[in-house]
Amino acid sequence: MPDFSRPDHLPHLRPDGEPPHSSWLPRHRHGTTPQMIGRYPDYDVLVEVDSWDDATRKVVLARLEPPGPLRFFSEQEEPTLRAFCDTVMAQDSEPRVPVAEFVDDKLAAGRLDGYQFADMPDDRDTWRLVLAGLDESARDGHGKAGFADAEPETREEIIEAFSHGQLSGGSWDRLNVSRAWSVVMRAVLTGFYSHPWAWNEIGFGGPAYPRGFMRLGPVSTLEPFETPGASQEDPVRAVAEGEY
Amino acid sequence: MGDLLRGILKGAVGPKDNDSRYLLDVHSRDLPGEDTMARYADNDEVDLVVVGAGAGGSVLAQRLARHGWKVVILEAGPFWHPDEDWVSDEAGSHELYWTQKRIIGGSDPISMGSNNSGRGVGGSMVHYAGYCPRFHPSDFHTHSLDGVGADWPITYDDLRPHYERVERELPVAGQDWPWGHPHRYPFSPHPISEMGATLWRGARELGIEMRVGPVGIVNGTFGNRPHCIYRGYCLQGCKVNAKASPYVTHLPDALAHAVEIRANCMVSRVELDDATGHAIGVVYHDEVGGAERLQRARFVAVAGYSIETPRLLLESTSRRFPGGLGNNDDQVGRYVMVQGAAQTAGRFPDELRQYKAPPPEISSEQFYETDRSRGFARGFSIQTVGPLPITWSEHVLADGHWGRALREYMRDYNHWATIGVLNELLPHADNRVTLAEETDPYGLPVARFDFNVGENDQRNMDYSTKVITDILKAAGAQDVLTVHRYAHLVGGARMGSSRDSSVVDPHQRVWGVPNVFVSDGSVCPTQGSANPALTIMALASRLAERMASGAAMQQPEVTRQPVG
Ligand SMILES: Cc1cc2nc3c(=O)[nH]c(=O)nc-3n(C[C@H](O)[C@H](O)[C@H](O)COP(=O)(O)OP(=O)(O)OC[C@H]3O[C@@H](n4cnc5c(N)ncnc54)[C@H](O)[C@@H]3O)c2cc1C
Ligand code: SF4
Repeated sequence: MPDFSRPDHLPHLRPDGEPPHSSWLPRHRHGTTPQMIGRYPDYDVLVEVDSWDDATRKVVLARLEPPGPLRFFSEQEEPTLRAFCDTVMAQDSEPRVPVAEFVDDKLAAGRLDGYQFADMPDDRDTWRLVLAGLDESARDGHGKAGFADAEPETREEIIEAFSHGQLSGGSWDRLNVSRAWSVVMRAVLTGFYSHPWAWNEIGFGGPAYPRGFMRLGPVSTLEPFETPGASQEDPVRAVAEGEY
Repeated sequence: MGDLLRGILKGAVGPKDNDSRYLLDVHSRDLPGEDTMARYADNDEVDLVVVGAGAGGSVLAQRLARHGWKVVILEAGPFWHPDEDWVSDEAGSHELYWTQKRIIGGSDPISMGSNNSGRGVGGSMVHYAGYCPRFHPSDFHTHSLDGVGADWPITYDDLRPHYERVERELPVAGQDWPWGHPHRYPFSPHPISEMGATLWRGARELGIEMRVGPVGIVNGTFGNRPHCIYRGYCLQGCKVNAKASPYVTHLPDALAHAVEIRANCMVSRVELDDATGHAIGVVYHDEVGGAERLQRARFVAVAGYSIETPRLLLESTSRRFPGGLGNNDDQVGRYVMVQGAAQTAGRFPDELRQYKAPPPEISSEQFYETDRSRGFARGFSIQTVGPLPITWSEHVLADGHWGRALREYMRDYNHWATIGVLNELLPHADNRVTLAEETDPYGLPVARFDFNVGENDQRNMDYSTKVITDILKAAGAQDVLTVHRYAHLVGGARMGSSRDSSVVDPHQRVWGVPNVFVSDGSVCPTQGSANPALTIMALASRLAERMASGAAMQQPEVTRQPVG
């Protein structure tokens, strides 16, 4: 049975450098996680909403509202944006954290991060150039109509090159490609990991005011509302076979 | 109320001459006195106008107000109402940061925003981590000692009484400190988490001494400041009032002593009277697109942080200073420093849940001083950190993972423990702030910051990354992920004993301008490998003492020949 005290599932320690297929993980049972996979099947951070202060509750719960239509990106850009956000976060099915909408809202509102590399355009222009570049790479390198039309493997191949700053030509030549990767990923990761579904997936305790945390270790680091990680092990069989 | 009675009623005996802890409300986080504070007209010639309500500006204002000075603080950011404005959430804390554009260049551009500076009443300490170490005595003369960096025109002994005073005001909690000038802390060390304990075990294996703290976080009773609730959101602003920032440590007392804080006011220049060479006050905008206003003052103190202070000086041009105030020797904006701040995380069999407890837990200064056998001058400190999910995802990304691999590492979050370093990177004249062509919403040129890592710097960083990785391995880590980054800006208006190699004199007064002082981290000629906030506050405390006595207005006695 998978034993979380062992690190065998971590990409660094696997011969192919790839994580195992997500079927080794339990299906989420309580609340929602992205794609309903996670390590804490009975953990739902939202059960604790009553223990959060008003200001925090408002900000976090707003993320669960159905997202409106895109405001910053055009209809032409939308499929590429979605395909990019899905690929880099490995969101291949519902339920999805609405990352594309988060990015769109941030850029539409001009909520930028306070710095711009001297050899790069404004973040908003960077995003547009990246989406155009992804389409060009899918077209020129792989004969597809656009990035969104490419198979998952092709998209991953393009993203892998992007992550190493190894794309060039057309729109890419107007960017420092490695920096563009850090600019777009900063926004994508913030969108994904600010969402309570992602907190359920990773077992994060979430907002903690005014309640705070008491269990800092060493005997246990679990608050009364947190649950330990689990595998998709069948408990009945495990008991029958004497593993417990 | 006498200290003894206070002690009996409220617990430990605290600092004199600062009532902030009693002025705070136990049930509300607002800064008391906002509605009743003094108000001055632009034409009132106040005694002092301070630019920036951050670490340096707030301490200076509070001290001088206690001496009866009339003080106005102009702050570009908002007047916070933490109960409503601050959240226990990473992404939701975006408004705390200075997010106006800055251009970053050089061979190693430094990212700003959340990682580097704050904007609003309280300044960057509103979202700083909370480590409050002192500099070492050696930091004040690295040039004579080690042949690198620069010598300060003052010494550790000049700052020591102010370190002690500020430590009582924050108050700092930690174990007895064996490094630098050995000292104790007013409050006992906090309990540490399982993550802290795990890293400590690794350090002990290697013979590396660690200590709990020092952190500016209440541990016990301190007036109306509550005890820490170990929620781990120090870098998002402490909604509890347990963590020190000027918002709770100095500004309540300042407002009770006739200081006015004028928030949402962006200062655009220090106004000089070319005939006399004296500043008459500062020009500011109280809204985007609004008319210019001039606050008159006898003295001006600039305390806008290491990027904004040089920017403001450069923007303050006049006939006497065509290239910016105090910049006739092309020194303004030079020698800006950041610390190398790589972090390494290790994977452990147990769930450690590193999001609990304040990120600053235990630290070591065993590698702080020069040891030539390591192959570089000066050193680094080691400190634990506890990244929340978004920060953790950036850490995983930096190690080269995205997509399914990133999700896998993220799901493993609860098994990881993170430890970081702070390297003393050396000051270089070309690491500097200049004005960019682009302008901000007020129409002012934005700052551009160019940064290049030097050879000694790189050797220091490589060595220290190996040390923290070894600590993780010795603790039994099963996998390791590393992110290279930088933190903590200081310098840009450094103090010195000669005007052609510095911007301010030993009294932190701009060379050639009798009534303009700089009171923030930009005056530091070197940075050590200690986090800077305590030193910035101690410097402001010393400056205030000398402004109040008039000593700061005299010609500086040159205690040292200029070097470095
Ligand atoms: C994430 C993070 C973690 C940190 N952790 C630590 C730590 O653990 N320990 C530590 O010692 N330090 C830490 N620091 C650094 C520390 O917070 C700063 O060094 C310190 O607060 C700087 O003090 P200052 O007085 O120079 O500027 P600030 O405190 O930044 O104050 C400057 C103020 O001036 C205002 N201002 C600027 N320009 C203008 C203008 N033109 N007009 C009007 N107002 C203006 C700004 O809005 C700001 O409020 C951390 C910083 C960050 C960002
Ligand atoms: S961990 Fe303690 S000091 Fe930090 S934010 Fe929470 S209550 Fe404040």
